[in-house]
Amino acid sequence: MSTILVANRGEIACRILRACNEAGYSSIAIYADNDANSLFVELATTSVRLEGESIAETYLNQNQILKIADQYGADAIHPGFGFLSERADFAQAVIDAGISWIGPSSKAIEMMGDKMTARTTMKAAGVPVIPGEEIEEDDEHEALIAIKSASERVGFPLLLKASSGGGGKGMRVVNSSEELDDAVSGARREAIAAFGDGRVYVERLLSGAKHVEIQILADTHGRIIHLGERECSIQRRHQKVFEEAPCPTMTPDLREKMGQAAILAAQAVDYVGAGTVEFLLASSGEFFFLEMNTRIQVEHPVTEMVTGVDIVREQLRISEGEPMSCGELSIRGHSIEVRLYAEDASNNFLPAIGPLVVFKPPVGPGVRLDTGVREGDEVTPNYDPMLAKLVVWAPSRSEALQRMRRALEDFVVLGTTTNLRFLRELCDQEDVINGSTDTTLIDRAWPYGWSPNISNSLSEAALMVAGISEGSGKHRKSNSSDASIDNGPISPFSTLSRRYP
Amino acid sequence: MRYEFRIDGEVVEVTLSKVDDIWSLSGNNASILPDGRIRLVSTDGSVFFAHSAKVGDTWWIHIGGHTFCIDHIEPGAAEEDEGSGLTAPMPGKVLQVLVEVGQRVEAGQPLMILEAMKMEHRIVASQEGSVSEIYFSEGDQVQQGVPLLELSIS
Repeated sequence: MSTILVANRGEIACRILRACNEAGYSSIAIYADNDANSLFVELATTSVRLEGESIAETYLNQNQILKIADQYGADAIHPGFGFLSERADFAQAVIDAGISWIGPSSKAIEMMGDKMTARTTMKAAGVPVIPGEEIEEDDEHEALIAIKSASERVGFPLLLKASSGGGGKGMRVVNSSEELDDAVSGARREAIAAFGDGRVYVERLLSGAKHVEIQILADTHGRIIHLGERECSIQRRHQKVFEEAPCPTMTPDLREKMGQAAILAAQAVDYVGAGTVEFLLASSGEFFFLEMNTRIQVEHPVTEMVTGVDIVREQLRISEGEPMSCGELSIRGHSIEVRLYAEDASNNFLPAIGPLVVFKPPVGPGVRLDTGVREGDEVTPNYDPMLAKLVVWAPSRSEALQRMRRALEDFVVLGTTTNLRFLRELCDQEDVINGSTDTTLIDRAWPYGWSPNISNSLSEAALMVAGISEGSGKHRKSNSSDASIDNGPISPFSTLSRRYP
Repeated sequence: MRYEFRIDGEVVEVTLSKVDDIWSLSGNNASILPDGRIRLVSTDGSVFFAHSAKVGDTWWIHIGGHTFCIDHIEPGAAEEDEGSGLTAPMPGKVLQVLVEVGQRVEAGQPLMILEAMKMEHRIVASQEGSVSEIYFSEGDQVQQGVPLLELSIS
């Protein structure tokens, strides 16, 4: 393996390309026109433009990507997360083209990717699943009839989930039978648009449960290990915003039980590479299989911080056919990740767009930033609004929370609305402080929506800063594009290009 | 120096005095640092380092861990016309139009479903009325801020 093509963009492409650079591999980035100036394109040895405009014509275009891999001599493809990462047909096409697929077999992806098949497989392997019913009906009318009858047995409130789902798309909470018709058609429509598959199934809604997932690694030498858990209970619109490792209520006993269940799940599909088995952990200590993500996960950094394992490097190593390099694992300290989104947290988390006129991430001990953007970039509606993942590590959970508060206050983003302040105030929630986090936390904390808590004196100070900025003509100096034409003294570039006779 | 700003919908007049390089406002003093940040010492002695940047007429200010959007009102600028039009909160595609022209709607009733960033967003009636215009149909792409429908309030 010498050249790795990264079939992704943004933050995760940067993460993987940096790992390739560090490990001494050549790398290929592929980019759509609207990403021509994106950070990840700079980080690759070679970057290749994708023809086409829509996501389907570019980052999801299997033929085009395979052609580029062939033309530029890629001998491995890393799919990142999202896009083609959980497309079994793509994994198989890559393998059939004689290229290494940095991930599990297409069969494992297929079995775990279809949520209903996964449920059935897990039940057979002895892994506990959430009470619910699989519904294979594809036709809208038939599906509705089947879901209605299933809902009577499962009971309300329940959750509709797209069989091909992920990222909260095609998912609906249904509190009563009156809401069912609307919810089914909405979930189906979203699922068809996002995955081309409208099948939805029914699960009991376990409220007050924690979302706890186990990271696993499996190599081709028969070794399969778990790297402990992450807790990702805090979600808005079924998307995680705050993740941590370890889970604050975890016991060594339960970790071992859940770890073994995750290994069992992975073994049931002959898993190879890095993967995550997601569970719901009820307050009773019972846990239920939710799904397995057969790829690197957004929140993998918190596990890296507490175990010291570089999961992406291990993926590359496993793909080379080498044994994984980590020995006995122990969990050290505490790590928290928050997702910085371009969105208006005070307006139902509506995605926002705009220029990143100022983008100054925090620095200091125990602070890590994984991002795909930099100052001067434009946030567009073309892709997911996640701008960055801010990760901290500290010896204890309370110190990690303190560090996160400090880091969030130091983080400056101007020009685009972000959820920075929301995340900052989240860190002050009593349930967050004492670790009583569950999937309903945000709704419970702000039943009527969030709005920032601002003192009058701070607003006054901000107005004063606006006045000084306006009065000093700050916006007319510096940084503006028309000011850079006249460079004054000799620029180093004109000196370098001067020819001496 | 006197400026007019809009913050959270409220118009505020800010009058600053300046002696040498020190700006003052009701006991707060501030100066501009060489890197463009503003160092502000408030009445109670606490010190803030603020960032500011202007986009259009809006000043984006970061101070004390908060980010503010403050619109500068140019002297003599007319107030914006406040209509009852419903505009696209962001660029996206019209997934469904749920009403017809002439239809009576109640406050909170969904009128249109937009898809943006792969998520669905409902456009709901801000008040009771009847639909007088629908500017887009299913499948249309819409830009941020464009009017989608008009309600006549009766």
